[in-house]
Order: sequence, then C-alpha cells, then structure tokens
Amino acid sequence: MILRPDTDPVGRVVATELKPATPHQFHFWTATETTIGIGTIVKVEAAGRGEPGEGRVVYGVVTDAYAYSDLATPLHDVVGAEGDPARAAEAPTARQEIRLWTAAVLRQIPEEPLQPVPLGRVFVASDADVAQALRMDAYLSGATPTAIPIGLYSSGGLEAPVYLDADFLLGPEAAHLNISGVSGLATKTSAVEFLLGAVFQHFPRHKGRIAAVCFNVKGPDLCFLDQPGALTDEDRARYERLHVVPQAFSPVHYFAPFKADGVNLNTLRTHPGLVETVEPLVWGLGEVLDFAEVLLNRDDIDAKADAFIDFLSDRVLNREFEDGFGGTHRVQTFADLERLFRAIFDGLELSGRSDMWRTHHIATIRKVRNRLGNVSTRCKGLVTDDGAANDLPWGRFEDRAVYVIDLANVDPLGQDLVFARVVSKLREHLEKRALGVDAVAVFVDELNKYAPADGPETYVKKMLLDISERGRYLGLVLFGAEQFRSQVHRRVVGNAATQVFGRMDSDELATPSYQVLSPATKIKLATLPVGELMVRHPHFTQPIFVRFPRPPVLRGRDGVERFPPAADLPFEEAVVRQLVRLDRRVKPNVVRDLIADREEDDVRRALGATRRERPADVVAFFRRVLGARVGPESPRERAVVPPLNPLSEEPY
Amino acid sequence: MRWMDAAIAAGAVPAAFVPEASLGRTDLTTVTGADLVEGERLRALPVGAAVGPPGPAAFLDGIQYWAVTGYDGVTPIVRAYVAAAIRRRGPDRRLHTVAEAIREIGITCRAALSPAVRNALARFEVDLIDLPVAEASQPGRLLAAAHVQVDRAREQIERDLAEPYVASMGKEEWLVVDGLLSDTVALARHPRAVGVVKSHGAQYFEGEDLVTALTLAQGHRTSVFRPRGHRHQPVFSWYLRLWPWQGNDLHYGLLRVEAQAAEDTVARASALSAWLLGERAPLSTPDARWDRLLYPIYEVEAYLKSRAPGDLLPLPGARLPRTGT
Repeated sequence: MILRPDTDPVGRVVATELKPATPHQFHFWTATETTIGIGTIVKVEAAGRGEPGEGRVVYGVVTDAYAYSDLATPLHDVVGAEGDPARAAEAPTARQEIRLWTAAVLRQIPEEPLQPVPLGRVFVASDADVAQALRMDAYLSGATPTAIPIGLYSSGGLEAPVYLDADFLLGPEAAHLNISGVSGLATKTSAVEFLLGAVFQHFPRHKGRIAAVCFNVKGPDLCFLDQPGALTDEDRARYERLHVVPQAFSPVHYFAPFKADGVNLNTLRTHPGLVETVEPLVWGLGEVLDFAEVLLNRDDIDAKADAFIDFLSDRVLNREFEDGFGGTHRVQTFADLERLFRAIFDGLELSGRSDMWRTHHIATIRKVRNRLGNVSTRCKGLVTDDGAANDLPWGRFEDRAVYVIDLANVDPLGQDLVFARVVSKLREHLEKRALGVDAVAVFVDELNKYAPADGPETYVKKMLLDISERGRYLGLVLFGAEQFRSQVHRRVVGNAATQVFGRMDSDELATPSYQVLSPATKIKLATLPVGELMVRHPHFTQPIFVRFPRPPVLRGRDGVERFPPAADLPFEEAVVRQLVRLDRRVKPNVVRDLIADREEDDVRRALGATRRERPADVVAFFRRVLGARVGPESPRERAVVPPLNPLSEEPY
Repeated sequence: MRWMDAAIAAGAVPAAFVPEASLGRTDLTTVTGADLVEGERLRALPVGAAVGPPGPAAFLDGIQYWAVTGYDGVTPIVRAYVAAAIRRRGPDRRLHTVAEAIREIGITCRAALSPAVRNALARFEVDLIDLPVAEASQPGRLLAAAHVQVDRAREQIERDLAEPYVASMGKEEWLVVDGLLSDTVALARHPRAVGVVKSHGAQYFEGEDLVTALTLAQGHRTSVFRPRGHRHQPVFSWYLRLWPWQGNDLHYGLLRVEAQAAEDTVARASALSAWLLGERAPLSTPDARWDRLLYPIYEVEAYLKSRAPGDLLPLPGARLPRTGT
C-alpha cells in the first residue's frame, strides 16, 4: 500500500503562454532528485484557500519530461569553460536546472465544468488516488463489484493495484484483450497466464461461469498450466497485494491431435506422468466438411466449389445416396467419400456421358476431391479416415477450467481448421447458451498470422473479425497476442477494449498506430523491463504502466526440462497405453495379442471407436470392433506325386 | 493591492508607470581619488590561474521595483517592492537560501492628497513613506525623491540581512556582496566579506593610473588602494579584469573589488582575485551584464525576481504600449 502521507507536495504546476495548463494536459516542476518518472500518477490540488481552482482535484499521468538549465546557448558553456570540457565540471557553482514534467489529465473532480488544471501543488498519488484517477472506484466496490486485477502500478518503490472492469474486459459493455510486444521480452504469454488466473479468481459470481480456451501454437508455452511454477518472495508479495492466490490452473484439459501414425500424440506434453491428461483431438469427415471453406485458398473460392461442398454436406453425408451409376453409398468417412468420387469418375468414363455429374462439372469435383484429400494427408493424425471423432466436450464446459489445444506441431492448414472449427463451435454453443459456461476467453498467440493486416480474406480472418465485433454479446472473448500490432487487422485490434503492451520494437513504435503516445512513453515502451506492461482500458483515459507477478505455473521451457517429452512409442505400445488410459484394468498383453498381425488401419479404427464409445468393458468392446481374427489360412497340403521307387543304383 | 484599490475608489486615478528599475546598487558618481596601499604606484598585477573558493561562500544581493500606480490630482502614489537574500553555496555546488527579507511600501506625499484618498489610505496599515510637501510640488520631483527612498529601503534590508549573517559566519566562510561593502559597518570590517562592484560611475584615478586601471589585461588586477573621501566605512579596493576588454569596452569584464581595510587584504588580494576569476564560470547569461555579473549573484537576483510581485515587473514582451513614458 502506498502509505506515504500526501501532505508534502513533490511539485508544482506551472503554466506559461507557450506551455499553458489545459483541461487535458499540464506541466509541473519537481526537485532535481525525485521519484517522479514517465508513467507516474500524480494528484494536483489548488495551492490554498481562495486561490483559483480551489476545491478542484486533478489526477494526471506523466507523459513527458524535460530537463534544462539557464544556459542561453551551448556556446556560453564553451566560453565559460574556455573550451575545455574538463573545466566545465570545475565551475564552483552548478547551474540552475529544472525537471519539468508534462502530464496528461486522467480525471478531474468535479468533472463539470471541465476547466484548465489549477496551478497548484502536485502530490504523488496514493492507493485511493490511483483508484480515483483511473475511475476504478466505480467498479471496485458496490453491490456487484467487477474488478479484475491486472497488475501493480509502481512509483518510487510504492505500489498500488490496478484493476480492469470485467464488464469491459469480458463483455457485455466491451470486450477482448490484445497484447503486443517483442518475443521473449514482452512476456505476453506470462501476462495472459497471470490475467487468466486473476479472471478465474475475481470474475464476479453474478456474471456466471467462465472458462478459457487456449491455442498453443508454438513450443511448450501452454503445456504445463496445471503445474506450479517457482515464485520469488517479491512475486508472492505482489500476489498478496493484488488479492490473487498464486496457484496453478485446475482443472486444465489438454487436447492434441495424433501424429501421422495415428497413435502417438503430437504434443510436447508426452512425459509419462502427464500424457494421460492429454485427450486426442480427432475429427472425421463430418467435422471437416462443415469448415471446408477453411481449406480453400483465395483462388479456390468460387461458387461452383462452394455449391458442390454444400451438396456433399446436405445430400450425401450420413445418408443413403445413389451415385447415378447404380451404386449406393453411405458416406461417413474420407474413405467412403473417396469411394464415391471413384464411382463418379468411373461411371462418367464408362458411360461416355458428358463431363457433368448432377450439374457439377467434373473439374469442380476433382478440385474438391483434391482439397479434401489434401487435408486428410497434411493433417493426418488430426483427421481420421474412419470418422471416429474425439472432440472438445461441447455443452459440458466446466466453470474456471482451461482447455488447451496444442497445435504447435500441426500443419498450418490444420491449425486454421482447428481454430476455425473450435471458435465456431464455441460461438454456436454460446449463442444457444449451451456450452456449460457463460463466457469463454479464447487465447490466440501469433494473431498477425490468423488476422493479418493485409493478405487474403481468409475464413479464419473473417471469423476473428466477427468475434471481435460481436463476440462481446455472446461472452466469446478474444485474448490475442502478437509481436507487431501494426501487422494485425485494425478492426481486430481496434475492437479490443483492453490493450496491453510489453517491450516494443522501435520500428513498430514508429508506425502510425502509436502516434498518440509521447516520445518519452515510446522510449519507455522500447525499454520496458520484463514483467512490466502498459495498459489501455476504457476507464483509463491514458495508458498506465503496471507490473505483474510471474505466473504461478510452470513455464514452457522449465516444463520441458522437468517433464521431458517421451519418445514416440511403437505402434503396439501406443495402442496399449491408450486403452489402459480408458480402463486401468486392461492387461497390456491381452491387447498385444489382440492386435498382433492386424492391419494398423483396422486397429486405429477400433481404437477410435472404443475411445468414442468409452464402454464399460474396454477390451471386450475393442475386440468386438476389431472383429474376429481371420486366422491365416493353413497351408493347403499339396498333392504330392508319390515318388517312384527308389532308384536302384544298379544301372541294369 | 487592497490599499491602492481603496485609494482609487476614493478618487485617485489608476496609473501604470514603471520607471527604469534600479536592479543593483549604483556606484559613486564623483571623482574622489584614492590612496595607494600596495606599492609605490598603481600597477597591473597578474593574479595567476583561476582557483576555487577559499571556503564555503554565500552571496548577498537585493532587488527593487517600483511603479506609479495612481495619481491623486498630480501627486503620484508609488508602490515599491524591495527584497534581498543571502544564498549559501553547499557541497552540491548549488545555492540554498539562508536569509531573505522583503518589504512592500507605498510612497507619496500625504499632505498633497485629497482628504478622501488620504482617509482611504489611513484605513489600511500601509507601510507608507510620507514625503515632505516640498517634494510634491512637481510630479517629477516626487518621483526622484521616491527613487531615493526605494534605494534606501533596499539598502536597509540588505544591511538587516548582512549584519546578523556575518556575525554568525563560520571561520572559513565568506560572504560576497553585490555592490558596495562600505555601506554597512559589519561588512566593511569583516575579514571575509567581499564587495563586487560592477558599475564604474566613480573614478578614483586620473592620468596614467586611470589608463592602468581601465586597460587591465584579462586575469590582472590593480594594486590595492583605499578609495578616498568615501562616504561610508573605510575599505580597501582594487580593479580586476575578468574578460579581455579589447574589441568591447573599457568597462567590459571589469570589476572593482572591496574588502576590509586591513593589511591581510593586501596580502591576499591576488588570491581573492583568482577566486573571483574562477567564479566567471558558469556564465551568467542571458543577463546582458554577464561579463561582470558573477553567476551566484545572478542566481540570487533570479531567485528574488521569481518571488517579486508580477505586476511590478517590467514585461519584456508586453503587447500593449507602456503608458506614462
């Protein structure tokens, strides 16, 4: 708590014709040695009774700073030192110099009439002042407080908590958070981890249930959210100050697709002690076809392909369908679809008819077949041929749970597909109020990849725009992160009511997006230490710098060291492990015997069905789905022509 | 200023005539001669390289502002502000105020005022200097007399500050005064008080000695002399050239130093001069007198000016034409 009494002013407002005090900005001077710095919050009070502005209190944040002496021109210093720089420091008297600060007004009390800042005394802001200055008093207290801690405002060793308004972070008034900063130094992921923890602990009960869906798109960043990390005493003190309990997330549900072998999970969380908590993410044709648009690049987007995909979805998928050449198909899997395509091509060729099939040109059919085939190849492991899907628990989302989808090693096409489908399903369920929670924070890193400022209008980008502009009504909240904000679509970042900045790149700061920041603020942003952020929030009229504690979870790199990923298991062992995970009573040797000499595709199919069904007796179900062993045909006894009588060696 | 408002309400006419302010002390204006106390004839002596101060030093300066703020008939009503301060240089090489005094006064001829205005002034406890009727016969005469009163008031508060201060100074401590030392007994007799005179209306020499005094080379001083016929306390004095005058003016960079009238002063005249030479830096620009104005004195003056009432300060960039000139 900032306990220092505010009876001693640290500065005084000054105004000249060239640098006047206005309703939005003022200047003040301080002693040369002062704790004031860029980002410091100060309070101005009229100097005394009867002076202009008496009773008016103004809060401001320091945005720029100047130091100068009474030296008229640099030449005078040269003359005074007789051209010798060493002598300049020997002058018996130090020149008068000033520390002059520019501050932007955060709040005036009373708010009306809005007047220039009085030329009064300047004080360092206390806890209560910070709350007033940032208008946090409106949501910190009352019957239904909605404050969520984001960090500690620090000045001269003093710290005061800064809170965001849940109504403006998670909807419905405004929503979304965007965080920018250079990799490694901006601690974007750590900041989001801390904030999610704070959200889970402080999200008001009256606003309902909340969960988070995190897409892990690089390395092991989010793979150990359920594991406690090391904290320093300083971190613990900050947590205490922010009224946040430093604890790892619980529950955390991990999802990762398989690798191409279809049995080993494509994630870095494969340590034997953790892998059992990772659910496979597997989709079949139905899941993919709904989002086929994701698979089409800009050149592919034409009405004909769209129409054919719609035709497949509406008329073919999961129903009896006659191909027009005498064949009947029930398409449920990629394999079924491929058989249909073959039947169509063969039928057209054999019948010698035109290149049209049911009003669709064969070229369009070939294109769609090519794209769908492509996804099953490039995303092997995510997309299964046999249609046995394993998905997020739609409709059964838990309150204060984190759902991590590990896509770090998935093909970009697959990442797009997963992203599009998961977010669309979230939206669909939230619209129906049937997700299990009332709000979901979706954390997406590398936002510049999914919603670039330029480039083609992809399905994913359109979807992100849609969330940004309408998600707040549904409780679908985007927590986006990227290195360069200027490279993200401006409507996506523009709709983020809360904007957070870590250490920024100087080139990035030179872009027009940062014109509103003073040069000093930009310099501070370019040199921001790890763990410090600049926050913009609807209630804050100016950006505020805060410090946040290290998140209480294991960092990705540390997690990989403590829980090194296991090597890929041989096919048989991987199958055994998955079945054991479904039922601890499963005996590995029984499974090994069952799958010995069986086709891997058959085993995968049986495994997928078992996983989807989750039967009481796993082995029995698996055995049944796998089918009876077709024993190898015993070698037919060859009819042997009886040998002749032994040849007599006798030649005669 | 409430008392002035009352006077205007009683019939006085508001005015805003700011005479040329006397920002520093004026030197004597007559040729008085001098008695040489060092050597047989006035010589130019090199003082050696500039050196640091011999000990902790404090600096005394005063300011005065005055303006005609009203007329009752043709009788001027003058408002004046005088202030003085001693600022001591600390180990951080910065000056800190150790003593300060101000006085705000009104000056007029009460007898020449109308009864209404006189009564209006009487209702307030105005620090009023009442000039004799003879001085009020012409507005110009009254202003000249007012100027003298303002000078005296400023000199008085400087004395009021200086006397207790030098009495309490440490053994190594020095006080540098802007202007004459000989105005104040305590200063003139103190071994570590130094007066620095920037204006040279008074001439103490003629002929070759005058040439020697006014054409000193940079870093040189004259022999020590005793100003003759001085109106106040006896002191020793010498000229010191801070900056080369060639290409400028005879008085450019020329100081006259006053110190205690004692043998020790002669012995350490060169050392004191070397110290003052060292005080050239930093330059006291943008003040036009920077060639003779020591920076600490300049800073005391700036300090006093910053605290002076704004309505008495001449506005360098005033947009309206000055009245009453």
